[in-house]
Amino acid sequence: MNPVRPLDQVDSGVDRASGPTEPRDWLADLTAPGRDQDRALRDLHGLMIRAARHQVWRMRPMLAGAGNDTCEELANQAADDALASLLTKVHTFRGRSRFTTWAYKFAILQAATEVRRHAWRNREVRLDDAAVWPDEHAGPEQHVEAVDLATAVGRAMVVALTGYQRRIAVALLVDGVPVDVLADRLGTTRGALYKTLYEVRTRLRRHLAGTGHLPGATEVKTR
Amino acid sequence: MTANARRLSPAAVQGLVTSTEPWLSCEDCFELLDEYVEARLADPAAPAPAMDVHMAACPACAEEAASLTILVAGDDDIDPEPALRRMRSKAAEP
Repeated sequence: MNPVRPLDQVDSGVDRASGPTEPRDWLADLTAPGRDQDRALRDLHGLMIRAARHQVWRMRPMLAGAGNDTCEELANQAADDALASLLTKVHTFRGRSRFTTWAYKFAILQAATEVRRHAWRNREVRLDDAAVWPDEHAGPEQHVEAVDLATAVGRAMVVALTGYQRRIAVALLVDGVPVDVLADRLGTTRGALYKTLYEVRTRLRRHLAGTGHLPGATEVKTR
Repeated sequence: MTANARRLSPAAVQGLVTSTEPWLSCEDCFELLDEYVEARLADPAAPAPAMDVHMAACPACAEEAASLTILVAGDDDIDPEPALRRMRSKAAEP
């Protein structure tokens, strides 16, 4: 019996013979100059707009005060940018999913990023090296153990993290700054900030395991 | 450190100490997202440990996965809720 391949195993990029099928050969249409390509580009742009609108309207509560025109502008801009991004990567499509699902994800990512940026465009991002302490007014559901852990986390942030790691952790996880917004302000990427958070969490977990506040230790790895 | 101290809510504590092993970058998450969503819709219980951990630790990627799940389920006229429930339950695991 073949072992189950986890869905999230990054493979060698070799096409899967048994991949999902769909009636239209998008790759052929998009890459062969002519009428089919024009039609495919038009249809693909329509798909991008549909997915971008879907995402903007999902995140509509973040856009307090924005009218329908603003939402539509955000969706259209995201669709255009997503299509441009997709076309630079179309040669990487391996058929592991339907082409439409693959295409939608570009528009969803772009639209979500646009909404977060727009929602925070006039908001200050404080990137200071702040001390943290437990929220004593969090409510009766917060037990003694939770307060104890929060106190230990606050201490661990001082001794186990660098100043940069602390500032990123506070901005993203305490102040709730969206990762794309912080990446924009710092001139970096979502992935780079997530890697910093990975290092933050690993160091905190290792420290808290050492103080008996968490059950197991994990190694800090260099990636 | 500055005097601008912050209160540490229970959600912030959880976010700070959540495990991010096995490691998966945001770039790899995006690379796998379409395949992950289709597979979750076909079989909500299909194993995807690295993606599940990443979704629990990265709210931005988790939002985009949920959104894509709903969009694709709509195209296929199927209920996205079992797949979304599975994603949420994995995210809530300690």
